[in-house]
Amino acid sequence: MAQQPLSSAVPPTDIYGGDEVSALVLDPGYCSTRAGWAGEDVPKSILPSFYGHIGSTNTNLFGDEYLIPREGLEVRNYMNRDSVVEDWDVAPKFWENMLVKRLQPERPTAPGKNGLNDDPKKDGEGDVSMDGATAEAAAEAQEEQEQEKALQENPLLVTEAPWNTSKAREKTTEVIMETWGCPAFWLSRTPTLSAFAAGKATALVIDIGGSNTNVTAVHDGMVLKRSIQRSPVGGLWLSSQIRSMFEHAEPKVALTPTYLIENKTPVDALAPAQARLRKFPFQIADSFRRYEEERVLTEFKESVVEVWRGNPGPYRAQGTEDFIKTQPGRVFEMPDGYNQMWREQRYRASEGMFDESVGYPLPEAERITKEQTIPSLIRAALEAVDVDLRPNLLGNVVVTGATSLINGFNDRLNNELIGMYPGVKIKIHAAGLTSERRFGAWVGGSILSSLGTFHQMWISRKEYEENGPGIVEKRCK
Amino acid sequence: MSQSGATVSQECITAFNELKLNKKYKYIIYKLSDDFKEIVVEEASDDKEWDSFREKLINATTKNKNSQGATGKGPRYAIYDFEYSLASGDGIRNKITFLAWSPDDAGIQPKMIYASSKEALKRSLTGIAVELQANDSDDIEYDSILKTVSKGLAA
Ligand SMILES: Nc1ncnc2c1ncn2[C@@H]1O[C@H](COP(=O)(O)OP(=O)(O)O)[C@@H](O)[C@H]1O
Ligand SMILES: [Mg+2]
Repeated sequence: MAQQPLSSAVPPTDIYGGDEVSALVLDPGYCSTRAGWAGEDVPKSILPSFYGHIGSTNTNLFGDEYLIPREGLEVRNYMNRDSVVEDWDVAPKFWENMLVKRLQPERPTAPGKNGLNDDPKKDGEGDVSMDGATAEAAAEAQEEQEQEKALQENPLLVTEAPWNTSKAREKTTEVIMETWGCPAFWLSRTPTLSAFAAGKATALVIDIGGSNTNVTAVHDGMVLKRSIQRSPVGGLWLSSQIRSMFEHAEPKVALTPTYLIENKTPVDALAPAQARLRKFPFQIADSFRRYEEERVLTEFKESVVEVWRGNPGPYRAQGTEDFIKTQPGRVFEMPDGYNQMWREQRYRASEGMFDESVGYPLPEAERITKEQTIPSLIRAALEAVDVDLRPNLLGNVVVTGATSLINGFNDRLNNELIGMYPGVKIKIHAAGLTSERRFGAWVGGSILSSLGTFHQMWISRKEYEENGPGIVEKRCK
Repeated sequence: MSQSGATVSQECITAFNELKLNKKYKYIIYKLSDDFKEIVVEEASDDKEWDSFREKLINATTKNKNSQGATGKGPRYAIYDFEYSLASGDGIRNKITFLAWSPDDAGIQPKMIYASSKEALKRSLTGIAVELQANDSDDIEYDSILKTVSKGLAA
């Protein structure tokens, strides 16, 4: 979640067509939103899709730098757990903050909008990162009409979940064409882009993301709608497993986020933490604390959690846990200094992705069923497509999404598939570069929209004006 | 048109028809033109030696944007006219096979261009019996490909 923007040395050029297109690419996810220039290797701007909201002034703050302890600050998300936009008042402002303020800071903007007037009390208009709902809203809208629109020079490619609703697609289209005045745009489904970026027009795409996992068959660059399977076994589900693991550990492990630590003294493994906690003269919202806890959990996933590969036996088999206990473990130091070695637990926490019968107890609402495990999703996706296509899909499995970065994931997936489809050639493609895995869809969109030939694909302003927002359903299949 | 906007030149279809109707060629290798705007014929051949066809794919190159236009491994499309006799003794079969070759060690840009342009070529060629994607030299061993093409029925 708390991802640092990566720098990219490559300027946005277009060597293929020669036409100077300064296209932008936007990839909104539940955990983070990625934006950057078409043709670049990584998105220049990566922000958590969580943002700060201050109720008393009705202000929204976009970006990691604002997610700090602050009076009245609540943490919200403009997306929902299905990876579809939830809040249409906030989403366009959030995106504009990235596409204009963060990616094109050199562009001249009106003083009220240049980001130098961050206090909405002094400046009723707020700036692009502030959603100041004030009495001047109407006047502001008027002013915007007369003023140059935000993205008049940039074609824009936006990614979307393969189940994105027609309503959401049309909304997106309106924002792009009406609010921002883009000259052209395109919507692309994330599995198609991930498949293309792996060099495949046909693939079984497995995206293990933040709030969900989905398995989708792509054939000749088209998502096969009936194949789409999804379930909540993603990063947040894994976080819940780790929380439960801490809860059930002996001794119990406190999940104290970094912002609460004033100072700490090193302690021995398993010894109680010796840390002084910071006190704040105001209430810290639960949503803020939870967001901060997730940061610690992401670190824990990166360095400790592993997926059981299946050798010498399945995790659930008798003796496997005892065997793992004899193997080297991993030490993790919590922000408060508490530390311990994790052995079989670090496998048990992730095992439920593959085997629902193993794991730590979760509240009813978060428990997953057998049908929601990754092997079941794959089976269901394949059963929904033509028999002749199945071998081609199994030979071209594309793994993407940041949760797929857990150690051992691909080996386990490979072993599961070999067990499920004996005699069929299985081949898993997972980008070696973690950036490609974390931003697979963005990278795909970046390359596609930078191709010289792609200007024939964009839905132009003229086409939009002739057909209305419904054009997107016709063109972006 | 393809998802990339690249188009298919007429010579692609002409060569395919020569292969299909007149058996003039054993295989055709297609590539994207240097400006990546159009799919063209790189080679049409009546050489029946699988290994020389395979070598051509393995050695194929393309410009790579990442390294300032330097040349690197390149994807290709190919049509191969497989001919095999059935293990059951029921005679000989022909299968015109479409192969999308995208080596894993090619650059991400060329891979993307070829993947997103494929559909345009495939749709222009009528009479393809089997379609395959291959990503490394093991994927294009004659025996394993023939097994797939013939659904295990070849002698
Ligand atoms: N190296 C890693 N190993 C395991 N999980 C990770 C890693 N890095 C990030 N995550 C988890 O991945 C999730 C975000 O996945 P991502 O694919 O970026 O989601 P989305 O597209 O929904 O925004 C978070 O839950 C985060 O904890
Ligand atoms: Mg995602």
